[in-house]
Amino acid sequence: MTLKLGHREFPDDATLMMAIVNRTPDSFYDKGATWAEDKAFERVAQVVDQGAEIVDIGGIKAAPGVEVDAVEERRRVVDFVARVRSSYPGLVISVDTWRAEVGRAVCAEGADVLNDAWGGADPGLVDVAAEFGAAIICTHTGGVAPRTRPFRIEYADVVASAIADTTAYAERAVAAGVDRRSVVIDPAHDFGKNTFHSLELTRRLGEMTATGWPVLVSLSNKDFVGESLGLPVGERLTGTLAATAVCALAGARIYRVHEVEETRQVVDMVWTIAGRRPPQLAIRGLA
Amino acid sequence: MTLEHAVVVPSTISFLPQYAALSDPVVDVRRAALTAVSWLVERHPGEVQLLVAEPRAEDVSRGVAEPAGERIGRRLLAEAGFRGRVVEHADGVLVVANGTARRSEKAPGHLDERAFAFDEAVEKALRSGDGDALTALDPALGEELWAFDTPVLRRLGDLAGRAAAEVDYADDPYGVQYWVVRWTCAS
Repeated sequence: MTLKLGHREFPDDATLMMAIVNRTPDSFYDKGATWAEDKAFERVAQVVDQGAEIVDIGGIKAAPGVEVDAVEERRRVVDFVARVRSSYPGLVISVDTWRAEVGRAVCAEGADVLNDAWGGADPGLVDVAAEFGAAIICTHTGGVAPRTRPFRIEYADVVASAIADTTAYAERAVAAGVDRRSVVIDPAHDFGKNTFHSLELTRRLGEMTATGWPVLVSLSNKDFVGESLGLPVGERLTGTLAATAVCALAGARIYRVHEVEETRQVVDMVWTIAGRRPPQLAIRGLA
Repeated sequence: MTLEHAVVVPSTISFLPQYAALSDPVVDVRRAALTAVSWLVERHPGEVQLLVAEPRAEDVSRGVAEPAGERIGRRLLAEAGFRGRVVEHADGVLVVANGTARRSEKAPGHLDERAFAFDEAVEKALRSGDGDALTALDPALGEELWAFDTPVLRRLGDLAGRAAAEVDYADDPYGVQYWVVRWTCAS
């Protein structure tokens, strides 16, 4: 399906890199490296240069921590979205938020995508997306509250749960007036899930892509990679890319990443192996 | 039937759509070939004869029976808008043939210094419209130099006699000698 992400449209064979840009002092991977606005802006410039089609700007780290209310979240992201919009008119701007009031403020400044990492915790978010013609990412969390860690969560079938919840959310978004081409589903690795759940979602991602909804995967340096390989944050790139390759083969369309260039190479290679993308240049044995 | 026009294009299978990449590695020679084939089609919209090499035995053993030259020729004709028939004998001929493939260390057949003189002789014949010189090419040496289309060039020589020649392309970008040539034959 053609993807419409706010002001940009992408053909149905396109894969997209969504680069993570944190406006947080405490996110797990960069540990506040882009907390200062200018540092975050430098990060945007860097990932654009690396070929990212989308930036995903977040003002609250996913894990539990210091309370960030809506006022503070807006302070962190709204003006920054306006600055990025002004400097990069063609860039797709996503904002990682579950709050409708924050969504409204960033859409008013030109955000294209609302990345609801917490699975519809605020039911008003879809109405904001519809009002502004923004896209929405419908994630699966198993019903946990925002910014909580999974604790002894079990599923009869985690993939079935992810499909049921994300597609229901997607239909709810469409019913609220969001363009069907602007709805993306995300199994949300590690959100409301232990490592075995995230591995199973990776292994069976083809069942999610088979729903016909475009699928986003957010795998980058996550704990399921770390636990699988026994590696700390900072040493998970190879594992992340392996998981990326599996998801690419299953047909994931959007990749939420810290490392843009490496992920782009892996996705392009897998897409080419799958016969969905021609080689960049082929003359060997053909001349 | 008297040969009136002939066009020579290379037999690189990069011309076939199943080998297309995002960047075209043969963009210049493809453009030249298509322009020349269009020139032929304008003059012979009803019937064209293809001159192509026989399928190579090793390809046949791998299940590929239709000669690559046949597929390349038909593809270029289609791209040039040809709606006529490909027949056994016609006064417009599309020749799918190139020179040696041993013109550099990176060439498909590695370097063989004899390739240069061989290609030079072919090119001289093509540029001067000298069918007799094509007919005189040594097919055994051509085989050694991976100029597997040499018999095709000899057949063109047999058919054409003398011609006025336009050479639109002559280069060896991958160690393989390509030409795009248009011949208007003496009546």
